[in-house]
Amino acid sequence: MANDFSVSRRGLLSLAGGAAGLSLAPNGLLPAAQAATNFAPVKEENAVIGFGHVGPISDEGWTYSHHVGFLAAKKAYPKAKFIEVESIPYSADATRTFRQFVAQKCNLVILSSEYGDLLANVADKAPTTAWMECNGHGVAPNRSWYYVKHWFPTYVTGVAAGLMSKSGKLGYVGSLPVPSVYSGVNAFLMGARSVNPKATMQVGLINSWFDPQAAAQMGTALIDNGCDFLFGIMDEAAYLQVAEKRGVPCVMWNTDVRRYGPKSYVSSIVVNWDKFYVDQIGERLKGTWKGEQKTLLNMGEGVDRDAWGASVPDAVKAQADAVRAKILAGFNPFTGEIKDSNGKVRVPKGATMSEMELYDWNWAIEGVTGLKSA
Amino acid sequence: MIDIITGILTTAFLAGGVLALAALGEVLAERVGVFNLGVEGLMALGGVSAIITVTIVQNPWVGMLVAILVGLIFGMFFAFATVLLRANQTLCGLALTILGTGLAASVGRSFAGQPARASFPDVAIPYLSDIPVLGRAFFSQNLLVYVIWIILPFAINFLLFKTRHGINVRAVGENPSAADAAGIKVIAIRFWYVAAGGAFAGAGGAYLTLAFVPSWSDEITGGRGWIAVALVIFAGFRPTQAVLGALFFGVITALGFVGQARNWPVPPAFLSMMPYVFTIVFMIVPAMLAREGARRISAPAALGTPFYRDQR
Repeated sequence: MANDFSVSRRGLLSLAGGAAGLSLAPNGLLPAAQAATNFAPVKEENAVIGFGHVGPISDEGWTYSHHVGFLAAKKAYPKAKFIEVESIPYSADATRTFRQFVAQKCNLVILSSEYGDLLANVADKAPTTAWMECNGHGVAPNRSWYYVKHWFPTYVTGVAAGLMSKSGKLGYVGSLPVPSVYSGVNAFLMGARSVNPKATMQVGLINSWFDPQAAAQMGTALIDNGCDFLFGIMDEAAYLQVAEKRGVPCVMWNTDVRRYGPKSYVSSIVVNWDKFYVDQIGERLKGTWKGEQKTLLNMGEGVDRDAWGASVPDAVKAQADAVRAKILAGFNPFTGEIKDSNGKVRVPKGATMSEMELYDWNWAIEGVTGLKSA
Repeated sequence: MIDIITGILTTAFLAGGVLALAALGEVLAERVGVFNLGVEGLMALGGVSAIITVTIVQNPWVGMLVAILVGLIFGMFFAFATVLLRANQTLCGLALTILGTGLAASVGRSFAGQPARASFPDVAIPYLSDIPVLGRAFFSQNLLVYVIWIILPFAINFLLFKTRHGINVRAVGENPSAADAAGIKVIAIRFWYVAAGGAFAGAGGAYLTLAFVPSWSDEITGGRGWIAVALVIFAGFRPTQAVLGALFFGVITALGFVGQARNWPVPPAFLSMMPYVFTIVFMIVPAMLAREGARRISAPAALGTPFYRDQR
C-alpha cells in the first residue's frame, strides 16, 4: 500500500501544475530501484484498470474494437474498477490524460494507439503503473507493446482483390506514411500480384486515421482515376459508402461493416482483443505481468479476414482461403525476391522477411505509387 | 481526361454546395449590416442535428428541415444579442462559433464516425444526364443541387436587386438611419434576415453530413464557415458571385484529392492546404482592387454597426 500512496502523491503533484510536477518527479520522488518490484499481485476488488482510446468508441471501427475488448475485460473481472477515456489526441494533451490514469492509481493502462514519447514521459515517472501500447515501438520495465500480424489476412484479401479487379488497378485510402500503412499496402498488393502479376496500387494519404469527409473524397478520387478495387486503413466506414455508390468492391479494416455497403463489401481485416486483454489483466492481478514485451498476435488469434461478402464469387473465396490455410500451416508469403518501388532488390531471392521487418516495413514494393520508399 | 474533369466537378458541386449555402446565408446577414462570424458554429449545429434526426426518422428531407430550424433558432439567438441588445457583432460571432462547435461535438459524441442512416439519393435527370461531363457531374446528383446552384442564388439576387423590398433591405445595410426615416422597420428586417442567414448555415451543415460526407465527426466543418465568410467579401456581397466562388472552392478541394490519387508530384500536405491558402488570397485580392472598383465591391456601409434609433 505504501507504493500506492507514493503514486497518488506523485500523481497529485504533477496534476497540481504541469511544470511543477514535471520538474519535481525526476528529483528522486521515486527511486529507480522500485522498478524491479513494481508489479506485485493485486486483489481483483482493489484493481484499477485504465483504457485509453485514440478515437470515439462510436466509430464502429478501430476504437470500437478496443471498446469491445474493454467490455469483455469488465465482464471477466466484475469486481475491478475500470476507467475508459476516449479520443486522446496525439499532443501534449495526452500526457495530462496519462497522468490522470496515474493519479487514479491504475494498475494497468491499455492504450489503443502509439503515443511514443508522450507516453514515455509519463510512464518513466510512474514505474508502478503498467502500460501497454498498441502498435507501439518503445519498451521499458513498466511498458510493453502489442499488435496484430495484420499482413497475413491482408495478403489473403489481396488475393481476392487480384482475382476480382478487372483493371488490376487497386486503390488504397491511407492515413500517414507509417509501417502499418506500408505493410498493409505491400501485403495487399503482393497478395493481388500472386494471382495477377500486373496489378498495381495507388495510395492516397489523408493525414488522419479518423476523417470520414477526407476518406470519402479520397475514395471518390481513386475510383475516378480508374481504381476498381479499394482497400484502406481508416477507423470508420466512409469510403465503403462511396464504393457502394460507385459499384466498386472494397476491403475494410477493424470490424464487420457490411451493412453500410452490402454489395461492395468483400471482407475486412477484423481485430479482436477480448482474449488478449482478459489474459493481460489476469497476469497483472496475479503479479506475473511483465514489461518489455513485444507481442504480435497471429492470424486466428487477434486478427483475421472477416466472413466473405455476398458479392464474392465462390471460386475467389476458395482460392483465397486456400492461401489462408497455407499461411496458418506455416507458409510465409513475404519471401524474396522483393523489389521496392524504385526497382531496388530489398529482399534477396529465397530470403524471408522477419516479424520485426514486417512490423517496421518502411518501403513500398514494386507497383505501389503514392507511397515513397525510404 | 474527361473522366477526371467530371470527377472533379462532381465533387466540386457537392463540396461547394456546403459553402454556397453558408455563403448565401452570410450574404443575407451582411446585406442588412450584421457581420455574422458564427457560421462555423451554426454549420456544426446544423450538421449534427441532421445526423441525429436521420438516425431517428430515416428521411434526409426531415433531417434537412430540422437542421434549418436549429440554424434558425441559433440565428435568432445571435440576432437577439446583436440586433436587439446591440452587443458587439464580432465577439458574439466568435462566441457562437465556439458554442456551436463545442455543443455539436458533445451532442454528437455517440454518433461520431457512424455513416448517416439516410442520405440524399442521386437522381439522374432523363436526357440531361447524358450530356458529357455536366451530365454526370451536375444532372445525376441529389435534387438539392438545383436548389443550391440555380434556384436560391437567382431568387435571392432577384429579391435583393429587383424588388422594392430588396431596396429596403439594402438600405438597412447601407444607411439604417435613413431607412428608418423612410419608414422601414430596420430592427425587424435585421433580426429576420440574420435569423434566416442562420437557417442557411444550418442547411449547409446538413448538406455536409447528409449529402457530401455523409457522416458526422468532430470538427467536420473544418473551417468551411470561415471560408464562407471570406467568400462573401470576395463576392462583393452578391449571391450569384458567392455561389460561383463556392464552386471554385469546391474545385480546389477536389483537386487536392485528385492530385494525390493521380500521383502528381506535389506533397499531399500542400494539396490539402490549398482551400485555406486561397481563402487568404481571396481576402487580399479585393483589398488590392478596392481603389478601382471601390463602388462595386465595397461592403454595405453600416456593416458591423449596431443601430440605435434614438441616436440618429
